[in-house]
Amino acid sequence: MFDNFIYYLKVILQGLPDTLSLGILGIISAGLLAVVLSCLLSLNSCVITKIIRTYIIIFTGSPLLVQLFLIYYGPSQFGDVLNKVPTFYEIISSPWFCAYLALTLNSAAYTTQIFYGALKSVPQGQWQACEALGMNKRQTLKIVMPYAIKRALSTYSNEVVFVVKGTALASMIPVMDIMGYSNQLNGDYYDFSIFVVAGLVYLLINGLLSTIMRIIEKKALTFEN
Amino acid sequence: MDGYILPLAQATSITLSLAFVSLIVGMIFAFIFTLLESAPFKPVAWLMSLFNLTIRALPELLIVVAIYTGLPLLLMSLDDGIAISLGFTSFTLQIDIANTKPDPFLCGVTALSLLYAVYASQTLRGAFKAISNGQKQAAQVLGLSKSRTFFRIIMPQMWRHALPGLSNQWLILLKDTALVSAIAIDDLMMQTKTIIARTNQPFLWYFIAMLIYLIISILSQKVITRIEKRSTYFEQPKSANSL
Repeated sequence: MFDNFIYYLKVILQGLPDTLSLGILGIISAGLLAVVLSCLLSLNSCVITKIIRTYIIIFTGSPLLVQLFLIYYGPSQFGDVLNKVPTFYEIISSPWFCAYLALTLNSAAYTTQIFYGALKSVPQGQWQACEALGMNKRQTLKIVMPYAIKRALSTYSNEVVFVVKGTALASMIPVMDIMGYSNQLNGDYYDFSIFVVAGLVYLLINGLLSTIMRIIEKKALTFEN
Repeated sequence: MDGYILPLAQATSITLSLAFVSLIVGMIFAFIFTLLESAPFKPVAWLMSLFNLTIRALPELLIVVAIYTGLPLLLMSLDDGIAISLGFTSFTLQIDIANTKPDPFLCGVTALSLLYAVYASQTLRGAFKAISNGQKQAAQVLGLSKSRTFFRIIMPQMWRHALPGLSNQWLILLKDTALVSAIAIDDLMMQTKTIIARTNQPFLWYFIAMLIYLIISILSQKVITRIEKRSTYFEQPKSANSL
């Protein structure tokens, strides 16, 4: 029984690099994209706002799985055109990159909502103070944005866990992450304890991540407590 | 393309029914989880919060697949009989189950309602805490029994507090139904895959599937907004004219 456990763990841990790289890079790029998008949203330009809103509705209103399949299987339709730029085609058709792209776009949509909500809840006085000092919109955002992100951190840590959980979907397009290896093992042995092992690994990752997020949150908000 | 509209519509109805059944079952479970988590006997409450934390940290796909694998194994072992040894004596627990292969739909509902319940119980707990203790005391002073206080006074207010959170969860549940295509339920996602296997036009059909999911979520968002408006009608500030 215990030998099996160790064996499963050994196999499943081979998927750790893929899960971690997808998760961490996804979180970082989605966070950066969200900061940019919420800055753009706060410019109050009619066209930009409409485009970003549509993007948010599309990516928050449909399942991540559909987006993943659309990005992975979709471009092959335009193979004739895309084959003319082989290196580009190779990159965008690799499963890892597709999973990364889908995760980033999906998470950025949710994160933009979080950040923009926080940006809007910054007291009006701060905006006015910056305006009174003669700052333009870009300079004001530089001041207000860090403040808003600090406020949004507690909600954002939820989103971080969601991204890591979302990486499991990458196993549906053939990325061999933790879930991919456990599916493969399950095909060979049909044993429930495989999923217990995989669950423990995910628990560990998410536990660590939430702890890190909590420490960051504490550090970021020290001056307010 | 004409020939695929009917199967797609059928698959959409399966997705919707999956979501609705999971919502109802999940709601019942959510209430039970909330009660257990605020149980006066502390170990039960601790176990329940540990369970909640665990499920929330696990990927949804893992839970769906694990239940699909685990449920038949559990039924099979029950069918074969489990030996329970108590040291001085042992007996076998055996339940006769004629068909040890559970329906995928059942597995899907189990997984989705579990997921919904875990998240919704958090919202319900928050809503329960948001109602001041004075109301419970006032009801007791008026001679209402505990169950009456709960059903007549606490619960209607809880709904109002919990509604935004619960409706958010409903939208997530709707999107999570796509995951059950991994366990052979012929839902919208699975049907789309079948059609793509025949037509070899993945972009078009996944795009159509995305549109259907989008339409469903936007429509339910509209309905939810209406319900929310109605339930908080008397809380909204009256205009100056009506005063």
